[in-house]
Order: sequence, then C-alpha cells, then structure tokens
Amino acid sequence: MKRLTAILAATTCLSGAAFADDDRIIVGFATAETGFMQAYDKPAQDAAMIRIAEINAAGGLLGKQIEVVNADTKTDRAEGAKAGLSVIDAGADMVVVSCDYDFGAPAALAAESNAMISFFLCAESVKAGIQGVGPNSFSASVLGPVQGATMAEWAYNKKEARSFYRLLDTWTEYNKSICDGFDWMLPQLAGATLVGEDTFLNEDASIAAQITRIKSLPEEPDAIMLCTMMPGAVSAIKQLRAAGINSMILNGSGVDGSYWLSAVPDLSNFFVPVQGSIYGDDPNADVTAFNAKFLEVTGGEPSTQYTYPGYVMIDVWAKAVERAGTTETSAVVAELEKMNGEPTLFGPRTFTSELHHQNQARYLIVETNNGKPGVVDEWTISAPIPVADLIK
Amino acid sequence: MARPSILRRTIATPLILSALLMAFALVAWFAGSRPFNQTVIDIFLQVVFVVGLYTFVGNSGVISFGHIAFACLGGYVAAWTTIKPMMKGMAMPGLPDWLMQLEIPFWAAALAGGGFAAFWALVFGAVLMRLSGIAASIATFAMLAMVNSIYSNWSSVTAATSSVVGIPIIRTIWPYLIAAILAVFIAWAFSISRYGLALRAARDEPTAAAASGVNITRMRLIAFVISGAIMGAGGALYAHSIGLVTPDTFYLGLTFTTLSMLVVGGIGSLSGAVLGVLILSSLIQGLRWLEAGVQVGTSTIALPGGVQEIALGVVMIAILMFRPAGIMGNSELTGRRARTEKPGQPGTN
Repeated sequence: MKRLTAILAATTCLSGAAFADDDRIIVGFATAETGFMQAYDKPAQDAAMIRIAEINAAGGLLGKQIEVVNADTKTDRAEGAKAGLSVIDAGADMVVVSCDYDFGAPAALAAESNAMISFFLCAESVKAGIQGVGPNSFSASVLGPVQGATMAEWAYNKKEARSFYRLLDTWTEYNKSICDGFDWMLPQLAGATLVGEDTFLNEDASIAAQITRIKSLPEEPDAIMLCTMMPGAVSAIKQLRAAGINSMILNGSGVDGSYWLSAVPDLSNFFVPVQGSIYGDDPNADVTAFNAKFLEVTGGEPSTQYTYPGYVMIDVWAKAVERAGTTETSAVVAELEKMNGEPTLFGPRTFTSELHHQNQARYLIVETNNGKPGVVDEWTISAPIPVADLIK
Repeated sequence: MARPSILRRTIATPLILSALLMAFALVAWFAGSRPFNQTVIDIFLQVVFVVGLYTFVGNSGVISFGHIAFACLGGYVAAWTTIKPMMKGMAMPGLPDWLMQLEIPFWAAALAGGGFAAFWALVFGAVLMRLSGIAASIATFAMLAMVNSIYSNWSSVTAATSSVVGIPIIRTIWPYLIAAILAVFIAWAFSISRYGLALRAARDEPTAAAASGVNITRMRLIAFVISGAIMGAGGALYAHSIGLVTPDTFYLGLTFTTLSMLVVGGIGSLSGAVLGVLILSSLIQGLRWLEAGVQVGTSTIALPGGVQEIALGVVMIAILMFRPAGIMGNSELTGRRARTEKPGQPGTN
C-alpha cells in the first residue's frame, strides 16, 4: 500500500507540473464539479469561460493567453481546501472559488494564506471578501441586503406601496440577509409602515399559521417582502396566492428563473431583482447576445441570473490586471479597489479598501404577470448600505 | 508475572501502526505537493477519529453514532480559543469575556478541546452507559442530533449555521502525525489496561463478567470519556486543518464515513481501525485522481465524475462479503501473525 501511495504521489507531482511561466496567465477554478453546489457553480463558471475565450480571442491579457486549471471541491469543505491548494500548486494567478460563502471559504482561505487573489463566483454574504476571508478576497455578485433594500425602495417609489409585511424563512443566512436589507431601507421611506412580520422554515410543508395572521390584518398589506429561496419558496408562494392574498410579493434574486413557474400557474404581481435578464428582454442588447452565446457554447440558455457574476468576475479582474500591467496580487488588488462604478455588462461595479463586494448596484426588476416573467423597470438604491450595517 | 508479558506481547501493534503512519507522512513530505500534504493531514485526522471511535465501540461492542458530536465540541473549542479576539467579537458576541480575550496556540486548543469533550462525555455517558445494545446506539444518535441542533441555533456563541472563520490554519503534517500516533498509543494502552480487558470481557460475556465483579456501566463510562477526549482533540485539529468550523461538518456525513472505515477495518481491532482509514482513504484518493484524469502518453484517461463514490461502495461491499468481520477481524498486527494466527488467539485477547 505504501507503494500505491508513492505511485499516486508521483502522479500528482506530474499533473501538478504546469507551473506558472511567463508566457501565460492561469486562472484556477476550485469549484464544485460534483455535488449540489455544482448546480450553482457550473453556470457561473461557464460564463467565466466565455469571457476568458473572448479575451484570448482578442489577443489575451498583457499579450498572454489565459489558461485554466480546475480542481473539484466535491461540495465538501475539506476537499475545498485541497482544491484551493491544488490550483495554487498548478500555478494559478487567481483562484476562483465556489458560489456559496460556506463552501468557497476553505479554498479562499488557502489562497489568502498564499497571498493570492480569490474570487467567489456568486456569493452574496458580506463575509465573502475582506470580512470573512481577508484583504485579497472578492465576490463577483451583489450583497444580499441590496436585493431586499432595492425591492423595498422600488415598490415604495414606483408602486406606491406603503404597508409592508415581512415574511422570513430562517433557513439560510442568504434569506436573512435579504430581510436585513429590507429592514435597513424601510425606516428611510417616509410613510411606509411595517404592518406585521413572521417567520417560517424552508422545509415547512404548510405556512397556514402565517397566512392566517396575514389574513387577519385589518387590511391586506400593499407588499409582502418574502425572504426565502428554493425549494421552499414555491410552496410558500403557492399557499399565499391560494389563500387569496393578492398583495405584491417582493423577493430576492434567489427565486429568479422560469423553471418553477408552472407550479404556480398564472402567478401575477410578483417581483424579483436581477442583475441581467435571462428572458431575452434585457435593456442592454449585449446581454441578449451573451445569452445566445451561452446557448451556443453550453447547449442551454442561462436558467437564472446567477450565471452572470462569473462573466463580471473575469471582466473586472482582467481589467485590473491590464491596468496593473502584472498579475502580482497587491498591484491587482490596488487596481480593483480603484474601481468606482466600473461599467460591466451587468451594471457598474465598485470595490473599495473596506468592501470587496457591491453594497449598491443597479438591479433590473422582473415582474411575473399571468405566469410570464419580464423586465419592467430598473432601480439602484439611493444610497449604498453602510459597511457597519452589513457586518452587525 | 503475566503483566510484563502482555505489554511485550502487544507493544508491537502500536509500533507497527505508528511506523505505517510515519511512512505516509514521509511520502507526503518527499512528494512536496501541497494538496497531497493536505490529503495526508486529512487521513491522519480520520485516523484520530476512527481510533477514538474504536476505543469505545471496539472495546464495549456498543455501536456509537454519537461520537462525532464530541468532535464538534472540540472543533468549537478551537474556534473559541484561537481566533483573534476582534474577529471573535464579530462572529460570536455572546462569549464570556475571559474566553473572548483568550488566544492560545493550536496544540493547547487541541488539549482543551479534548478536555471539554471528555467532560461532556462524562455527563452524557453517566446517563447513556446504563443502556446497552441497540438502545444505547440510538441514544448516542440522539446525543449527536442534540449537540448539532444546539450548535446550529445558538447564534451568539456558535454563530449558528454560519461558518466560523479565522481559526489559524496549520498546514504542516507533523502535529497531525503526532496526534494520530498519540491516539493509537492511548487506544492501545487503554485496551491492555485492566479496564480495557474488563470491558472486553463484558462485551463478550456480560453475565460472566458481571458475576466476576466487573462494573460494566463504569467500564463503559471510562471508555466513553477516553474516546470522547480523543474525538474532541481530533475535532479541534480538524478545525485547524481547514481554518473554519460549521456544525454540519460534524454531522451525519462524518459519522458514517468514520463508522464505515471502522467496520471495514474490523470493529474489534485497533489495527483494523487504522488500516480501515488508510486503505479506504488511499482508495478514495486514487479514484479521485483517476476522475481528475491521468496523463498516459499524449492522451488523458479520466473516469466519469461520481465514479469514486460508486467504486468505494462496491469495494466496501466486497470487503464485507469476503471478510464479514472487517479486514482485520478481531486480530491485531503483531509482526508475527503468520505463526500465531489462530482464531480467538490474537495478540491482546
């Protein structure tokens, strides 16, 4: 058996021999290729690969071709740490880690301890960055609280919503973060009131008790802020509508996509914030072109907006490398932190030395009407959410 | 008169196992590849866990589904005692002041983790060890679920389900090697001690053992506390190996991995516990490399993703089909198995 291990050890040395040299730049993906996180990581990674191919076709980065190395985290934290180390050993100049903070952190910490840049594919927790990993870690998506805040302010200004009801699924940090953003925004909206709040759990088969409490309000609230995610979201939405509650339902981006709409036929008055539209009606024609390209490369259109952050990630990183003239960590981080409203296909992006995440972002508002989702508006919250309010 | 002889007859087992572990460490050291190094660290941690589990399960014959709870207790002790006070305040504001200010080295955290887990093993064990057979197993499972729910919901002290980060990461292999070797020696020393012998007698013939004056509950409790301490220390080191802890790391997945490694190796054997880990981990690793693809000449041969899990299952079934008592059965590696191999006559028994 010792011999077996020795042979195996020898093979890793060989496969790990792709050390960085001067004529190419390597991006290491320590992401889930198997396990449940694969459903989140794969689309965003495909989008990243499209941006890499575009850059390579246009002559590369700093005149060098970008190459990619992969390691599978198996949706496991201990494997994640190993995956991070293997892509670093394979010569990666930047480490891309899993979508979710909890599953991406081990690989990101491995990168951080080697003083390398790490990017979470689409994590929306404030911890996915300086606060939870270190000064060289970034996230390509937008903070969860921004989604809740966006929906509240938009509904107040554009839909005249004044009475709000807050329904939180306490299952994940993501859900809580959306409601946190909503809580931050609501007191700033003059005349808006919270007429009630309640919690449930994603796995609850019935939310009848919560619905009864909504029904017993003297007046139906204008809007229900529903902080939940799949799979429980579908059942909660279905029950709300079946009980005859017709208030507008505001959500986080986690319920984007049309794959589940057949479960709630003719759903209306339902609103989701998205970074880009998968429905072919994005105000930016380039996004629709990207969707077509994604279809061509992967054989399917993006199924949710969580595909897009992968593209943004490579885009902003490559720009920073180009400006720094090197892939050296501190220089690239400094360039990234100079980005203020940097235009991308999916809205402007800003990084600062205290936050490597978006605490304000342009969101498209997707309304589902009679079971048909489509972009109806766009909104950027009037002020960024202060970092102190994000960390509490 | 028999006392020096039991020591001399059995000392070979922990020595051989330590040599084996040392060989793994040396291979990792010479290979110089960091992911491989991390893999071997992982293997050593599994050795600690499975040996900890063996100390109770192997000697008492009571299957425990709850030992990973002790690893959880230990893991969080590492988080409480080694994270920088400033970060602790953010993630776990409910900690008492003295704990908030505490920042100790990793080895002290491992000892503290072991001590904390041992204390709770004593508390739980005092109740649970009165049960036997399947009732005891189910009760240990309940303990696992209980610890998990407390740690998943007590947000001010454990940060609930969020990852607790900031635990200093230790990536050199030696502390883990030392921990694994220590675990092996503790387990060995316990099993040849009078308590271990009494407990094994109670496992095989409870009535006769009780009639000979063995207090079965007390013997089990001793084993439970010692194994809890090993698991706790292992949990703390696990936290240091990846730099973060979450309650679901220490739940069903790890419980069944460690149990199956013990069953495949041989429940009643310390050598089985260690070999079970080494063999299954090497197999898992080998299959993962094949999944990732191996360069042969100019072409790359790769197995489809997911084959690792399937192949592992098949191998485990095959082992249990041909060796129902596990690879080692009840026997130990003593360096002279070929001559003394007789059923019922292995080293320590």
